[in-house]
Amino acid sequence: MKEETVQQILSRYAHRRSALLPLLHLCQEEAGYVTPEAIGQLGERLGLSPTQVAEVATFYDMFRLKPGGRREIWVCHNLSCSLLGAEEVVRRLEERLGVKAGETTPDGAFTLRRFECLAACEIAPVIQVGPDYYGPVRPEDIDALLERLRNG
Amino acid sequence: MSEKVLTKRFEISGYRGTIEEYLATGGYQAIPRALKEYSPESLIDLVRRSGLRGRGGAGFPTGVKWGFVPKDPTLTKYLVCNADESEPGTFKDRDLITRDPHQLLEGIILASYAIGCRTAYIYLRGEFVAGAVIMEQAIQDAAAHGFLGNNILGSGFNLKVHLHRGAGAYICGEETALLESLEGKRGLPRLKPPFPASAGLYRLPTVVNNVETLCNLPHIVLRGAEWFSSIGSPKSTGNRIFSVSGHVRRPGNYELPMDVPMRELIFQHAGGMRGDRRLKAVIPGGSSVPVLTEQHLDTRMDFESLAKAGSMAGSGGVMVMDDSTCMVRAGEIVARFYHHESCGQCTQCREGTAWLHKTLRRIEAGRGRKVDMDLLMDICDNMKGKTICPLSDAAAMPIESYLKYFGDEFEQHIVERACPFGSGGGS
Amino acid sequence: MRDASTISLTIDSRPTMVPQGTTLLDAARSLRIAIPTLCQVPSLPAQPGCRVCLVQVAQDGAVHLRTACSTPVTEGMEVLTEAEEAVNARTFVLEMLLADHPVDCLPEERGGRCELHALAKRHHLFSGSRFARQRAPFPIDDSHPLIRMDLNRCILCRRCVRACGEIQGHHVLGIAERGDRSVVIADDGKPLGESTCVSCGECVAYCPTGALAEKGPAWNEEVGAHQAITTICPYCGCGCQLDLHVKDGQVVTVGSNFDGPANRGSLCAKGRFGFQFIHSPDRLTMPLILEGSGFREATWEEALDLVAAGLREIAARHGADAIGVAASAKATNEENYLLQKLARAVLGTNNVDHCARLCHAPTGTALLSAFGSPAGTNSFADLEEAEALLVVGSNTTEQHPIAALPMKRLVARGVPLIVIDPRRIELARLATVHLAIRPGTDLAVLNGMAHVILEEGLWDRTFVQDRTEGFEAMQETARRYPPEVAASIAGIDPELLRRAARLYATRRPASIYYTMGVTQHTSGHQTVLALANLALLTGNLGKPGAGINPLRGQNNVQGACDMGALPDALPGYQSLDDPNVRERFESVWGRPVPKRPGLALTQILGRERQGAIRGLYLVGENALLAEPDMTETEAVLRSLDLLVVQDLFLTETARLAHVVLPAASFAEKDGTFTNTERRVQRIRKAVEPPGQAMADWQIVCALSRRLGTPMMYGHPGEIMAEIARLVPIYGGISYDRLESVSLQWPCPHRDHPGTPVLYANRFPRGRGRFHPVEWLPPDEVPDSDFPFVLTTGRTLFQYHTGTMSRRSDGLHLLEPEPYIEVNPIDADRLGAREGQKVAVVTRRGQIVAKTRVEAGTPPGVIFTTFHFSEAPANRLTNPALDPVALIPEFKVCAARLEPLNG
Repeated sequence: MKEETVQQILSRYAHRRSALLPLLHLCQEEAGYVTPEAIGQLGERLGLSPTQVAEVATFYDMFRLKPGGRREIWVCHNLSCSLLGAEEVVRRLEERLGVKAGETTPDGAFTLRRFECLAACEIAPVIQVGPDYYGPVRPEDIDALLERLRNG
Repeated sequence: MSEKVLTKRFEISGYRGTIEEYLATGGYQAIPRALKEYSPESLIDLVRRSGLRGRGGAGFPTGVKWGFVPKDPTLTKYLVCNADESEPGTFKDRDLITRDPHQLLEGIILASYAIGCRTAYIYLRGEFVAGAVIMEQAIQDAAAHGFLGNNILGSGFNLKVHLHRGAGAYICGEETALLESLEGKRGLPRLKPPFPASAGLYRLPTVVNNVETLCNLPHIVLRGAEWFSSIGSPKSTGNRIFSVSGHVRRPGNYELPMDVPMRELIFQHAGGMRGDRRLKAVIPGGSSVPVLTEQHLDTRMDFESLAKAGSMAGSGGVMVMDDSTCMVRAGEIVARFYHHESCGQCTQCREGTAWLHKTLRRIEAGRGRKVDMDLLMDICDNMKGKTICPLSDAAAMPIESYLKYFGDEFEQHIVERACPFGSGGGS
Repeated sequence: MRDASTISLTIDSRPTMVPQGTTLLDAARSLRIAIPTLCQVPSLPAQPGCRVCLVQVAQDGAVHLRTACSTPVTEGMEVLTEAEEAVNARTFVLEMLLADHPVDCLPEERGGRCELHALAKRHHLFSGSRFARQRAPFPIDDSHPLIRMDLNRCILCRRCVRACGEIQGHHVLGIAERGDRSVVIADDGKPLGESTCVSCGECVAYCPTGALAEKGPAWNEEVGAHQAITTICPYCGCGCQLDLHVKDGQVVTVGSNFDGPANRGSLCAKGRFGFQFIHSPDRLTMPLILEGSGFREATWEEALDLVAAGLREIAARHGADAIGVAASAKATNEENYLLQKLARAVLGTNNVDHCARLCHAPTGTALLSAFGSPAGTNSFADLEEAEALLVVGSNTTEQHPIAALPMKRLVARGVPLIVIDPRRIELARLATVHLAIRPGTDLAVLNGMAHVILEEGLWDRTFVQDRTEGFEAMQETARRYPPEVAASIAGIDPELLRRAARLYATRRPASIYYTMGVTQHTSGHQTVLALANLALLTGNLGKPGAGINPLRGQNNVQGACDMGALPDALPGYQSLDDPNVRERFESVWGRPVPKRPGLALTQILGRERQGAIRGLYLVGENALLAEPDMTETEAVLRSLDLLVVQDLFLTETARLAHVVLPAASFAEKDGTFTNTERRVQRIRKAVEPPGQAMADWQIVCALSRRLGTPMMYGHPGEIMAEIARLVPIYGGISYDRLESVSLQWPCPHRDHPGTPVLYANRFPRGRGRFHPVEWLPPDEVPDSDFPFVLTTGRTLFQYHTGTMSRRSDGLHLLEPEPYIEVNPIDADRLGAREGQKVAVVTRRGQIVAKTRVEAGTPPGVIFTTFHFSEAPANRLTNPALDPVALIPEFKVCAARLEPLNG
């Protein structure tokens, strides 16, 4: 973590503990996940015990406490997407990637995750990878999509 | 055709929501106007007279909420924009943020001025990765143009706006859980009272307003309370953005007067049912509200009419299901969601959401027992009105309504030991 | 009569009036209506997650379910605690919780402690739950030596988390994940035994279902009826009240007692888990007499006859002043009173002292000199009102963990904390300003702070003018300590010193706490005076949240001083020279009181006066390990004509005795202890002493009969009655009053409520006195042969010379062996690895222990504890004494380190 960035984040809040979520995001962006060392360091920095940091890090879906794939593929499986075939999309992805949802491909390229409503129901069923949304996705689109993600 | 207000600029070809584009289309004009013509009190009064109600779900009158903030100038006050849009079936705020971020910022500046806030936060849903980049840029641009910072437009009014990203927890859409999260804690809803207006962020007076609510403010300032209240019904004024999804031909966001009839919304604006199948069920306000059926199609979408029909206007997320839909499976998916999202604080919700999910999954998989329907009803009954926050109610109410309107279908699953639709459930 | 702040309501149709702000739960309790609760922690704000306290509330025509624990009463409420809807809601919650809870808990009447099962029974839920188990079973976490964590029993009430974080301030336990995946974690999910848990056991005290329980007999095992005896912890001077749970004549466990005024139920690892020494097989059960090269068991008759004859012979040959009596800070007030009475009235000498000489003698001498009374001024409870806190030479979180709780609460509230300590101890990490001084330079820093306060005009002119004297002389001296000078002596940044002075002087009230980092120096007396100067200068005396507070090291060191176990004062710090005082004592005792002040313990056991004392009666004191320069102490002890040791165990000191007398422990007798807040509290007999062991007071009485001046008492209460007659500050204290309350002295008469805060209106000596005090370096400073400063102290899990704590299995497991703390830089330079054996050598001797590389210990400083006889720190320490208080300089001597192979 660059000290300058940390300072800049801390300056936004009247209480330093508020910087915990932004700093957890930062740690995850840098190391790929929230490492045990990061938990200790953030605690030290923000006046929190490792427990207090871990309580927060595990509460939120986006923080990973173990290493995962270089990219996460989020497949929405909530109602609107399910009505239009999200399960078929999940099945096809599992088949093509050779892993179950929640797992990481052996080459470390992808972690496949089911996600709750991604707020993009107008393009259901939807897949989100980082800032990008893909949808409506049909099972037959998956190969091309994975190809694109591998090259992108 | 009614006039679009919030999404008017979306229709301009090539409009990307930059500050230059926003300014060129009449943006940021409400700020000099408000700073010059309105005292904070008179601005609150304007919004109160407009009848604007919160678009996040509860529909609380915005001006009234602002009025609860103590006037003591020595107290630090906060405005927090609730941009944690996560109610299943709702996707309007994402559009407002990514396609016209300055409209939201202008609303935030106006609200901050009204309540005497000098630091505002946008609590943005963590999954909105693209939205975060856009919003961060918009904040910088607004500051560079003098709409944020010290002595805004020479008025002596100072305001900083910071973007704060969530990290994946539906419960943080509940305003007190959101404040806990913003304080760097687990998103556990707080006991109320005290309400945020008296003890919110860092226990200081705080207003939490939804994105769409705030986006309305520049228009109310520029066009007046009377203009706004003339749209919609007397108690549900203005336009609202309905997010329509599911088995319709043209899913998407539709900005319409609050009292648009459901039939018009689905069959006219959203293009009607895909493949001309028969409409079976409509969830009119996000997944936590009770389901309605074909018989309710002539209900208007305003707060009062939907309440009268036994449902709620909620977040404006309209999910439409045709006759191929298994309602047990729909219930299982909804229950799975609340099971995943319960914060775990209250026993009824923590355990009840898990049991609803488990029982529905069992029925859908053909392993249901006769007693399971009573069990579901009993769990729902015990989850409602007995917890710190309404997530427990939100989990119970839809399931109750599915049982009410589609009880036969549940029974059929149990008797036939299989899903008649062949869906058979999922994870 | 009622006023606006009283609310009237009905609960279960019974009208009641309660103060505004009362919760429904408390209002119901006042009517003896028990509303069930699971998640409630009475001392903390409600976080009503469990939802079992739902009751039906009707008001203004609306009927709602409300959680009783979190709902304040309002006028006209009608509450039905057993309304059908409420009972149904509650039953549903219990049913859900029972689904995942093992069914092997026992109901209360069979010794079971599970609150969930008790509630299930009350709600007729024993037929089981409609819900099957849905959580995968958790493996039992047995990694902690004292606490078992069985999450299968956990109902996620969060009481453990709140006890650990909000009450104890550790924040080791927490909840990870969310919803029904929620799970209690330690640190980031470590096994409890590998986490940062400090074993205070607060979680165990609060867990309602045994998910966190002390190891030992299985939590759900049928243990039969326990008897709980309320008494006081025998370790440090905090004076924590606790319950000894007794079954079949044995103490089986220690429970929290939430009425304890000093600790409100909280305990530390020692208090909760350090009780096994009571039933140790090592306990002495018979008197022992030295015969040839070994001991033989003897009868009381024989042993006491031998002691009496020996003492009489010494008195006859060398005079009464050739006899010394060492009383005990571990014994009761009554016993200390009798021991000094034995010395003075029976033996005829003032040679009576105790181990306060080794810890807080300068507190006595200096505070007496400054204020006219030798004790701490305030109470733990009023510390919560402080706006600033200065902690000097006190590793409070380890030595006085319960006193540290209000400190940590202050910090959590944002109150500035200033810590002066060479080591980066836990409090230093929490501090606003930490002055990491060179050992032995406290006085220079305190003078520097006085300089800043004077120079910047931050002092309290009114207070100084109205209530003090000696200001000019003090000011004169303080002038010579500008921050730059003081800071260079102490090796710190002068700006930090300024900041510390400003924080202390400008936030009022500000409180000072200190311990042996201040006192155990040749300048101990002067340094305490420097602290008194600061408090006087800022007017921080006589009000809640202010004051100057020594934390006493032993359970009853305050009481032993109060009782006159001192060579130069009669009980109650009354002057040996005052004829009126002497007359009162002589008339009650029926014997003359010797005039000449006696010798201090450090003089009795020091080489300088070796031979002056021929016979020593040593009670409850392992002098060999506790006194400085062990080689010297051993030589003196071995040279005595008669050494009588009275103790629980055959200590290292007892092995040198001619006669050893078996004494009863705190759990085996009645009496009183006086804690560091001057709070007199009852201890109560819970079990019988082993074998023929007897309470100290009984032994002293038996001995006095053989010495021809019998002291006859049937019960310690009778001794306290005599104390009350003779000691004005204890004048109003009696056993009947102490049955229900504790009393803080001065308590001059039976209607006096005691004195939580001293000097509200005046000082006992009239005006508070400033003292000009000059810094002098420690007696022994590092040189090329001995380049390190060795400083000694205690650790959290052990205590004093280890006689009790090392015989309590759990504590022993937590800190089983001696260690030497070395800074990483020094360790690197010397090539000492973590765990490697290292010899510490001083001019007096050497010890060998394992290296502990510790960044919190500054370069050039090494630290060790005096708990372990296999590496006795006091073989190393310097016996040089403070000239006034006669305390040795345990905190500084020069040493070198020699890493050993292996």
